Formats: sequence, structure tokens, C-alpha cells
Amino acid sequence: MAMDERVQSAPSHDAPRASLGDFSKGLPFLAILALSMLLPLIGNDYWALIATRASIYWILVSGLNLIVGFAGQLAIGYVALFAVGAYTASVLAAGNVLPALPPFAALGAAGVVSAAMGVVVGLPALRLRTFYFAMTTLGFATIVTQVALGWQSVTGGGIGLSGPSLPAPFDTTWGLYGLCLGLAALCTWMTANLAYSRFGRALVATRDADVAAEANGIAKPHLLIGVFLFAGAAAGVAGGLFASLQTYITPDAFTFDLSLLFFIAVLIGGRGSILGPLLGTLLLTLLPEMAAPLAAWSTFVYAALLLIIVLLMPGGIATLLDFDNRRVLSDNRVILPQPAALGQLLAAARPATGLEMEGVVLSFGGVTAIDGLDLSVQPGQVHGLIGPNGSGKTTTLNVISGYFRPQQGQMTLDGTNLPTGLPVLRAGRGVCRTFQTPRIIGAASVLQNVMVGGTITGRAGFLEAMLSLPRSLRDERAIRMRARLALQAVGLHALENVRADRLQHSELRFLEIARGLMLHPSLLLLDEPAAGLSAEEIKRLGALIKAISEHGVGVLLVEHHADLIFEICDQITVLNLGKVLARGTPAEIRMHKEVVSAYLGA
Amino acid sequence: MFASIIASGLAMGAIYALIGITYNTMFATSRVMSFTAGQLGMLGGVFGSLLMLRLGLPLVLGLPLTLLLCAGVGIVTEFVAVRPVLKSLDQHLYVLTTLAVALLIQQVTAIEWSTEPQPFPRLFELGRDAWDEKYWLPVATCAVTISALEFLYRRTLIGRAFLAVAEDNFAARALGLPERTLRVASYAMAGAIGALAGFSGGQLLLAFFANGQLLNFYGFIPVALGGLGNNRGAIIGGLALGLFQQAANFTVGGIFASVAVFVLFIVVLLVAPQGLFGAPASRRV
Amino acid sequence: MKLTRRSVALGAIASSALGTSLFRLVSPAIAQTAPIRIGWLASLTGASAAPAIGFNRGVVFAANEINAAGGVKGRQIEIVTRDTQGDPTKAVNATQELISQLKVDAIWGPTNSGESLAVTAIMTRNKMPSIHPCVVDSLIDPAKYPNAFRIAPSNTQWDDAVRNYCLNILKAKKVTVIGDTTGYGVTAANASVAAFKKAGVEIATQANIDATQPDMTADMLRARDAGAQVIVVWSVSTGMVARLLNTRATMGWDVPFVGHPSMASGDIGGLLAKPSNWEKVYAVGYRSCSYDAAGALPAHSQELVNKLQGKVNLSDSLLWWVAAGVDAINLVAQAVSTTGSSSSEAIIGHWNELAKYPGYFGAYTFSKTEHNGYPTEDVVMSAANSAKSGSFALAPGYT
Repeated sequence: MAMDERVQSAPSHDAPRASLGDFSKGLPFLAILALSMLLPLIGNDYWALIATRASIYWILVSGLNLIVGFAGQLAIGYVALFAVGAYTASVLAAGNVLPALPPFAALGAAGVVSAAMGVVVGLPALRLRTFYFAMTTLGFATIVTQVALGWQSVTGGGIGLSGPSLPAPFDTTWGLYGLCLGLAALCTWMTANLAYSRFGRALVATRDADVAAEANGIAKPHLLIGVFLFAGAAAGVAGGLFASLQTYITPDAFTFDLSLLFFIAVLIGGRGSILGPLLGTLLLTLLPEMAAPLAAWSTFVYAALLLIIVLLMPGGIATLLDFDNRRVLSDNRVILPQPAALGQLLAAARPATGLEMEGVVLSFGGVTAIDGLDLSVQPGQVHGLIGPNGSGKTTTLNVISGYFRPQQGQMTLDGTNLPTGLPVLRAGRGVCRTFQTPRIIGAASVLQNVMVGGTITGRAGFLEAMLSLPRSLRDERAIRMRARLALQAVGLHALENVRADRLQHSELRFLEIARGLMLHPSLLLLDEPAAGLSAEEIKRLGALIKAISEHGVGVLLVEHHADLIFEICDQITVLNLGKVLARGTPAEIRMHKEVVSAYLGA
Repeated sequence: MFASIIASGLAMGAIYALIGITYNTMFATSRVMSFTAGQLGMLGGVFGSLLMLRLGLPLVLGLPLTLLLCAGVGIVTEFVAVRPVLKSLDQHLYVLTTLAVALLIQQVTAIEWSTEPQPFPRLFELGRDAWDEKYWLPVATCAVTISALEFLYRRTLIGRAFLAVAEDNFAARALGLPERTLRVASYAMAGAIGALAGFSGGQLLLAFFANGQLLNFYGFIPVALGGLGNNRGAIIGGLALGLFQQAANFTVGGIFASVAVFVLFIVVLLVAPQGLFGAPASRRV
Repeated sequence: MKLTRRSVALGAIASSALGTSLFRLVSPAIAQTAPIRIGWLASLTGASAAPAIGFNRGVVFAANEINAAGGVKGRQIEIVTRDTQGDPTKAVNATQELISQLKVDAIWGPTNSGESLAVTAIMTRNKMPSIHPCVVDSLIDPAKYPNAFRIAPSNTQWDDAVRNYCLNILKAKKVTVIGDTTGYGVTAANASVAAFKKAGVEIATQANIDATQPDMTADMLRARDAGAQVIVVWSVSTGMVARLLNTRATMGWDVPFVGHPSMASGDIGGLLAKPSNWEKVYAVGYRSCSYDAAGALPAHSQELVNKLQGKVNLSDSLLWWVAAGVDAINLVAQAVSTTGSSSSEAIIGHWNELAKYPGYFGAYTFSKTEHNGYPTEDVVMSAANSAKSGSFALAPGYT
């Protein structure tokens, strides 16, 4: 069954290209792993210690990277979870509260406890922005160390307690190194799986384009909780291993500096990368060792080197390694939509009866933005929404897509009620949209941006994605295939691997449409898609929109370009001061006296 | 007993508030949270002690020189740690650069000054017990500073230019305001405000290299409580923090005082996510 | 300090440092001429670095003195210093580097207990001869750590001295115990309270005060209201001690202070509102570094002070720190000189046999079963404000 599906749905060129791309992406990691495995042949116990430390730090940072580098949350205080893990493992292995557990069970328990704590520490992120959240994580870091200090009967207080000593063969320097390296490699693999799955793309979307993320059905709380659990577990296991490595832990081992090291490793590595933060972690573990012979001045030199490194590569390590995007793009690119691709993309028909809005009233404070609006968008039609600035056009789109909750009125889509508010549920109902200012993920490739639109079509869960199980791979292939089709349809397929922030404005408009097509929408909302386009491009846009509607999609088009509106719309509604001024076919509107004098004539 | 808790609480609160204002002043023109804020406070105390006790300068020379030196540190920070990373603010690399500068300052102080707290001179020999100058000096300095800032921002042309840059960087540049110069000026000003925090609190905190991290940490709380960029909020947040912290020190002891402070802080933030006096979030769509 | 400063060449550091550490290949020890390498784990720039800076002066002095005299059987002493900043993680890294990379023959330090707890097992695993001055009792256990030796008193020895002074000389029935909020401060205060209770002394109040707390009035008032006859302090924070003493003076209270050696640190002098605030403060001290009523030091100590004259500054440090630093280096040198070998078995074996080795700081005695080398009777109380070139007058009650 599964095989058949794949063969049917994947174009023949797709599979080999993807695996080649994955392989070259994995190459630097394999090289680092190979070098790490050679270390026992050339290094002594000191290098084993430093390499073990780097592995342990990376286990934590690999999880933290998803939070800081991908989701963009400033979690500065992750030493809190590291400490919780270290103490949980040590206390359980020592048998201070319960009968002593075997070391590996204690290590596992450390992961579980820290995962739970990870959610507690992370939850404020759903309510607090950047610095405020950063500060709460630091608060947790302080709380954890002070509790460790005060709770002497369990944690040993100021004089601490021994870390768990692992059984053979992990009781030797190189044995422990092997274990930590293995776990680090496992974590790298798991984070990479997550990062390059729909979950990873969704995380980046919440970071760089949270409004678009919501419109594409990405529920931030669910997503973040999954990541906090993973990062917490990784931090906990890292903490437990740290306790083994140190042989002995006291509260003063869990310093603010250590917490910053974790955070900085991600920053210096670069956002949305895995290799960058990995190299960052190695760098930050090694730099102080290189400066160590200077004794008292070593920390000074370490800080100076950090500063120099950032000044030399202000984009982080990842930008430095991004060779692909340094290639010059040709200046005279042309967007050539291929509406033929829509056939495959929009093949399966949705049972559609269209959108009905009745008596919608929305006011902000004393200002009424929409005043009793009735609107109906039929499937397979292009419906134009025009009116002067401030007449409520974009506001209407925002009501439909759930960002604004009107005080009165109701909406139905395809025969069932469309609840007001709740933008995150719109994608599931087949409502897709573009924005007046394109909301894209500048740091991700064009293809990745479009794939974000297909996030909710995935069937595999977070764990399946993390372990790269077959269902997740299938999801990925299906989403990638649709995204390529969508790009072909809008005419951007030649640019699929280019970072989106290198595109021209007009290309971004088409990119957003491609993203909107991913779900096979029953209603597509376009907010001034022609703004900033050349006359030639507007013409192609018109043809594309028309072709989309011909596949049964209802299109609601907010636009200022009268020519485009009159050329492609089946129905037009004219708004003024939040009220319907006129409605009808283009021909009728053209003849409407008030419209002509108030709007078109001008 | 209560008098001493309130006096020291208000004094520490005023110092935290001034550091909070230091953060805000740098943030306003650059959108950067600079972790040098606490180190500037530390340097205020160390320079004060160095100039007045070791070199024997009188207050009328010692204070302006301290302010000048710290303003210089502020300007250097802008050039070295802020300007190069402004282009990619959302990568938050300024956390790294400003922390590196903070670490440089701290290490040089540890080695060249001392790792033990050093005395800070009495300035006026005024007041005793709860009314001792070491308690009211930071409070008075805080009041004077905020008044001067309010005057600057609301009554003078250059102050309005600051506000314009803080409000909308691009628009301000489009208006022809010297945005870059104003940013450097704000870093100099932040240096001086940080120095004032350390100088006025010198008798309480002593001239001690480790004060930098402490002030960095606790100076951030008034910023968050008061709302980013809101100086009046920072003062109320700072004073509340100082009083609560000293009361907690007394009631639950030193180990759990910081736990109490942070539990309360997190709860307050969750109830008021923009800080107590912050502007509500702007509309997203 | 001077040594380390001179070695700073900002430009070349990273490369040369990496070069030496990466490519120093394991060479078979050429026992006759190879230098004796002593690792020195010093918290030079962390908080409370004063003792390490003091020890460092003694270390540098002793190494220079031995080398100037031709070394130990022709072998020079080489000190390899690492700044651990009081951070256990840095200490662990440095320890392993000293052992595996730099192949030191013995290690002196670390200088604070948190670091020592983390590195002791690592040194033992590598059979590294180790001497340190950290006080936490569990750090010395010849069965578990046969390689670790202490040349300073243990916390119990300090605690005994302080408690006995409170009981026998000050005749206290009710005491207040104050520690700071560091790991050491919390542990030491708890241990002290337990021992006082066991001795039948009532605890008026017990407090762990954050060393940065600007005002100690509330804690001191509480102690007075509870009827404390002595305040016992366990903290290395000079700022905190000075604040406590100033508060005592402001309150017009004459309760004696007894406790941690840092109460006698020279830094406190500058932090006091008046010199008289330092009266009736008795800090743990050592016979070897105490002068008698006539102002004379023990002869052996005086000999060291004379040697240090003009070379080492004692005015802003303590004699015992410098003396312990000198002793540490001499103990290693003497072991190599006596046994003719710098192997770890030779050094540890030699130390295990030491009886009344006449160090400047104390006469150390070790055996296979006792690695606490400092003589208990030499732990005394001294008058904290009586510093003269880093040494002290004995507290009232001692002769």
C-alpha cells in the first residue's frame, strides 16, 4: 500500500534529488563524527575530557537550538534544566530520597524530570515576548540553584553530592566519551529530523512570520510544548552526564556563565542551522582551553576573541557556511506561471458552496470599521473587493481569516458555520490567504516557504518526525511534491533553493500565492497581490488567479488596480466606510453612479 | 528594624532603577539590550573610589570625571559591540557582543583593581541611621536623574529628537535626524547614568568588581516590570524590587530571598505580560 | 601575579597556546634534567580570590628561590598556573590538562572547596600527588583519596577552635551563627550550629546572609533581641564582614565576633567606618603567624619574613597565605630531593612518612591513615585588627 502511494504521487526526478541533497547536508556532520571517533587514537585524557564536555554541551544545545535558533525564543537560563538533570540523576543514583536507582535509570529519570520542567520553564513563552521571556528563564535558573543550596538533606547543600558513576564499559574516560559522543550524534540526528520536518519549518514560521504561521494552521502552543519537552529531556540527560563527568556536583558548578555559553553557542552558530550551533559549541568549549595558559588574563582574552569572531562574521557561522546563497542571481528574471500545473495541484475537488457573511459589525473602540456587511463568495468565482482607503477591505479579510472577532454577524463556509476569531483553525477549513506586506520566512528557501503552507496536511506526529519514521518521510515527500507543483504553477520553480529574502518584491507576491495553494483551498483571500508589480506581471497574475478560480476555488480579491479587477472578477463588492456601496458584475459596477463619482472617476 | 529595611530597600531599589534606566536609554535608540549596563554601575563605584580615595580628588572633580569616564565606556560599547550587529538585530548577536565587552571590563577590573571590595568615600558626612547619606543618596540621585531626563525628553529639541529615534528609527532618519550621532550620544548618556547609579550607591555596594553581574541581573527586573523603554515604570519597578528583596532577605533569609523575588517576578509578568506599565502589544495584522 | 602579567602577549596567545598544548608530545621523562612541574590551580580572578593571590606570591617566591639555588638535584621547578575563577568546571578542565597534557608531577590547589570537591576524584583516578588548603572535611580521606593531602586545618579544626574560644574564653551560653549564601557559607554555618548544640550552647539566631545585602541592621537587631552573647561568622566575604562590624558599632553593641580567618583580612580595615569597629573581633589564626606580647614572631616564621623582605608584599595579604604557598612548593621539592624521583609513588610515599616537617606555616605530620597534616594545637584565635605585615596578635586568653 504505502509503496504504491509513493510511486504514484512522487514524480520520478524527485527522490534521487532529495536524497542527494540530504547526503551533502549530512556530510559535514559525518566528517565531524569521524574526526571525533579518531580522537582516542591521537588524544590523551585531557582531550577526552574536553571532547566529552563538548559532546555533553551539544546534547543540551541541540535541543536548545530548536527553541532559540528555530523558534526564536530567548531562553537564556537553560542551565536551570541542566542543573535539574544533574541533581535528579545524582540524587536518584545515590538513593537520597528513593531506593538507589541503577545509573542509567537515573539518567533516564533525569531526562523525564527535566522534560517536565522544560515545559514549566518554557510555557511563559506563550504569553511573554523576547526579553520578558529571557528574564523568566533566568529566574528559573536562580531558583533551581538556590533550592539545590538550601535543600541540604537531598542535594547535599553547599557541599553537594557525587555524580552517578556509570557501569563498565562507560566507567573509563574513553568509555564515557563514547557514550556521550553516541548520544550527541543521536541528538544531532533527531534535531535534524525535526528541523527538516514540517515541525521545524513551523517553528521557523512562528519565529519570522507568526501571523502567516497562524493562517497556515500552525498552533504555536502545541508545537512549542513538543519542542520544550524534547529540549528539556536533552538538557536533563546532558545534566546527568555532566554530573558523571564532573564526578561531583555543587550548586556553584551551575553558573550564569555556563547558561550563557549554551545560549551564545546558538547565536554564534546562526539561526535555523544545526551545523552552525554545533561548531559554535565546539568553539566555545575550546576557546577557553586555548586561552587557559594565560592564567589570570585567560578570561579576558576569551572575551576578546569572542568579540573579534562576531565582528568578523556578523551573521554567525551558518551564514558563513551558506555557499549556495552567495551565487549571484540573474537580474532579468521573469515570473512565468504555468497554470497547467494547477490541474494536478487542485485535482481533488472539495465539496464547496462558498462563503456567506451576514450582518458583520466590527468596531475598534468607538470607530466602526465594518458596519453590517453582507458578502457572498461563490466557488469557482473571483470576487473583487474594492473601495477607498480605510473602507474596511483588509479588515474584512482579517475578519474572515479570524484575526478580528466581529461584535455581530455570522459567517458560513461551505454550508457550515465559520466561528469568529480562531485564525489557527482557518487553514483546516480551506481558507488560505496572502498579506498586503508579504509575510514570508526570509531566512528559509523558497521551497521551504511554500512547504509551510502544507504543514497541516502532515499525518505523522512529533515523535515520528523526530525519529524519521516512514509516515513522516511520506508526509515530507508529499508536501515537497505539492510545493514544487505550486511553485511551478506560479512560475517560481527555478528559484526553489534560493533564500526567500533575496527575492524581489513581485516574486514574494507569487510566493505567497503558491503557499496559499498548498492546501487546495476552497477560499483564497488575496490582499492587494498586484501592488508593486509591473504591467506585464499584473497580466500574468490575472491569468493565474483566473486559472485558480476555474479549478473551483473561490477567490476574494482586494485590489486597487481597477483594470485587473474589471478584467478577472466575476463579482465585485464596493465598500465605503465599512458599508457596501454597491455590488454586482463588473459591467454593473462600471455603470454605478456613486461608485464612478466617488471612486472610479477620481 | 523596619526603618532599616525600608531605607536599604529604597536605596537598593533606586540603584536598580537607575541601572534599569541605563538599559532603557541604550535600548531606546538601538533596540539593543546591552549587558554592559551593570558593569557601568560597577565602574561608577570603582572610578569614584579610585579618583577620590586613591588619587585624593575632591568630589567636584571626582564625580564629573567618573561620569566622563563611564560615558567614554558607553561610547566605546556603541562602536565595538552595538554598531556592527545592528544590521541583524533579530539574530540577537548583541547579547554576545555586549556580554563580551562586559566580561572584558570585569576581568580588567578584577586584575588591575582588586577582587575584594574596596572602600568608597563618604561624600557629605550627612545623616545617620536610617537617614544616613548612603541610603538617601541613591534615592535622591534617582529622583534628580529622572527629572532631568523628563525635562530633556519633553522640553528640549534634542530630547525630542531622541524620542523620535526611539519611536521610529526609519522615519527619524527620513526626517533628516542624525540618527547615528543620537545613538552614540544615548550610549554616552547611558554610561553617565550607570556611573551615577554606582557612584551614588558606592557607600552601599562598595567598589567591588563583582557588582557588575549583580546589577546586570537585578537591573533587568525593573526594566521588565516597568515595560521596556519606560523609565517611570523602571523606577516604580526598581523601588518595588528593592523593598521586596530586602524584606525577603529578612523574612526568609538569604538563600530563599532570590527564590521569592523570582517567583513573584514571574507571576507578575504572567499576569501583566508587557510589564506593569508597558504599552499593550501593537496590532499584528 | 607578576609572572602571569608578564606572560601576556595579546596577539600571539591563542596560536602559541594551542601550539604548545596540542603538540607537546609525550616524552619519556628524562629524570635527571627535566624540570619538576608543579600544577597550581588558583582562583585568581573569581570572587574571593584574595587567598589565591596570597598563596601565589608564596608559590612564585619559593620556586624562584629553589631555582636560583640550582634547583632540586639539578632540576628546575616549573610552576604551571591555571586561573579557575572559583568555577568547578574550569577547575576540572584545568586539572585534567595539568595531568594528561602538561604531565605535571604534583598539583597544589585548588583553593576553594567547591572546586576541590569536583577535582579530588579526578586526581585520585590519576594517582596525582595533591596538596591543597581547602577546609571541607570530606576532601581528605586516605582510603578514598590516598593521593590527597591537606596542609591547612580542616573545617572541623577551625570550628573546634572557634567553638572552644566561645565556650572557654568568652564563656558564651547563647550564640548567633551567620554564614553567607555560598556553598561553603551554608555548609560551615550548619556544621557550626550542630556542634554548638551538641556542646550544649543555645543558638540565639542562625542566618545565611547574601553577601551583597547592603544593610545588616535587621539581622543584627534580631540577634541582639534573641540575647546572643557572641556572633560567629562563616564567610569569606570581606564586604559582608565589614558591614556586620559597622552595624555593630552603629547599634552601640559590644558583642564579640568570632569566626572565619577572613575577618582578619586587611581589606576589611578600609571598609570600616572607624578603626575601633574592628575591636573584639577574633578570627581563626595560626601560631606560626602570630606574634607575642613583645611583638615577636616565632623564630622560624621570622626567618621567612626576613627572606620575603623586599620581594613579596605582605601588607595587603596574610602571612599564612604566603607561607602556605611557600610550603606547598617546598613539600614537593623536598619529596623529590629525598627520594630522588618525581614519580607519584615516590612523592606520595614520602609524604605518607612525614613527621613534623618544619614548614613555615606549620609543622606537618602525615601518615598512611591521616592526611590532615596541620597540627590542631597550632590553630589559635587571633585579634583580627592586629595585622602587622600579615601576622597577628594572639586573641586574649592565649599565651
